[in-house]
Amino acid sequence: MDVRPAFPLPDTAWKPIHEFWAGAAEHELRIPKCDACGRLCWYPREKCRHCKTTSFTWQTVSGRGTLFSWVVVTHAFLPQFADLVPFAPALVALEEDPAVRLATRIVDCDLDAIEFEMPVEVTFRPISFAGVDGEVTAPLFVPAR
Amino acid sequence: MSPTPAAAPDWGWATEYENVSGEVAICGVGESDHSKASGRTTRDIVGQAVERALADAGLEPRDVDGLMYISMPDQMDVAGFHEYFGTDHDMWESKGGGGMTHAAAAPYEAAHALRDGLASVILNTFGVAWATQRSNMVGGPGESHAQELFKQNLEIPMGWFPQPVYFATVARRHMFEFGTTQEQLGAIAVAQRRNANHTPTAVMHDRTLTMEQYLAAPTIVAPFRKEDCCLISDGGGAFLMTSTERARDMAKPVVEVAGVGLGNSSTGTHWAQQPAFTSTPQVFAAPVAFEMAGVTHDDIDLYTCYDPFTIHTLMQLEDSGFCPKGEGGAFVEGDTLNFDSGKLPTNTHGGLLSHAYVLGIAHVVEVVRQVRGEAAAQVPGAEIGIYGGYTGPQAATLILRRVP
Repeated sequence: MDVRPAFPLPDTAWKPIHEFWAGAAEHELRIPKCDACGRLCWYPREKCRHCKTTSFTWQTVSGRGTLFSWVVVTHAFLPQFADLVPFAPALVALEEDPAVRLATRIVDCDLDAIEFEMPVEVTFRPISFAGVDGEVTAPLFVPAR
Repeated sequence: MSPTPAAAPDWGWATEYENVSGEVAICGVGESDHSKASGRTTRDIVGQAVERALADAGLEPRDVDGLMYISMPDQMDVAGFHEYFGTDHDMWESKGGGGMTHAAAAPYEAAHALRDGLASVILNTFGVAWATQRSNMVGGPGESHAQELFKQNLEIPMGWFPQPVYFATVARRHMFEFGTTQEQLGAIAVAQRRNANHTPTAVMHDRTLTMEQYLAAPTIVAPFRKEDCCLISDGGGAFLMTSTERARDMAKPVVEVAGVGLGNSSTGTHWAQQPAFTSTPQVFAAPVAFEMAGVTHDDIDLYTCYDPFTIHTLMQLEDSGFCPKGEGGAFVEGDTLNFDSGKLPTNTHGGLLSHAYVLGIAHVVEVVRQVRGEAAAQVPGAEIGIYGGYTGPQAATLILRRVP
């Protein structure tokens, strides 16, 4: 399989998620909100999964949530992850709608101290990968203050 | 603290299936040699499995007039079949076959092809050489996920990739919601390994595993240890389907498709967003298959399921109704899953964890052998067995029964 040279950095120009990464660059967490039913819709799609409307506005959310689940990775499944291990990929349920789960990483926390349903909040950090040029600002999460 | 609010119940659905109970029989099964990296090609692996299935059924290549496979690299299509066997006859074909969910659901499509006279003997095959090809794949078997753009642009940059990470996340959540323990996951790894130790074709036939060894091993993606994760293998399998009527005139005991059901998840492979995070679409598939077969759980002599990780065996046992949701951990403790002493012998050949990672096709071969009474790790008196197929977006339940 051929992949972009920047893989696993995101292709921030890809239209369905461009606004998510543009928001992160401005330190805002943005999620599409249905203009008709008002529900957050994640992952982005052309039709609202709840009401089938096709009009969305990207909404800046609080960046607060709870830790839905996480793992502690000690084996680098991609060579590009070599400098990350050990690290804690996680799913965070957003305060505005816990059905929306963001894939993210828990940082600034002892990996043994991570707890279920722990309140967390967003932090914006540059991410980069071994052997890959460049960096992108990403929404990672820390334990809530 | 209380769990995050309960998931919406409407997270998936059952595909509407007509009753095909008793129409189709599996009249021949075969599997290739299974191994770690062998240098063999998928073509040769699948060919070997098909030759063995034909020999098992007492059929010649030209007798096969229907072919099912999946549209993945190097699978045996009609041109590949003819090239391998030197034949040139007309064949009905469908890309709805192969391993995973499809190895369970293929007999449903085959029933219609047989009914409609499109074919009389239908072959389903699947094989991989992923152990050999692994170093050229992005994330190994994670490659198909790496190609998916939402994963590529929202999940992988965070490090949430590949499958061991997805399903360790599911296992961790299952532990939180239901109190499932590390030892209960370990009980699955240990029991399936023991079954493999009694199955000469299993890659891990000669490697024993105790609970002490399991618990002493380091985690690679906590809460998973290496032994919670499937093998990466070169290998494949094949099975032949025909009408139950025709199968009665063939050499082997008749094994009929008693029931089949297919379930779907509305969030596809985006597991992060699946409302019922700790469930599989067997929730939707299993009731259809049980109703079609007219059997209850007490009638089932052995269970097999697509088990890329220990948590999949546990979840599918729950979701198929062998125990209430959340009680899978207690259910699998002790010798429950052992082929010879368990109350529900499960993955009796060792499964993807300890037999071979050939994506479920060998599970069907195993169930057929079990209900014929021909298995290596034979369940005494087995007559009815199940293969639970899984891909994530879909799951299917296939109930096979020996016809008296």
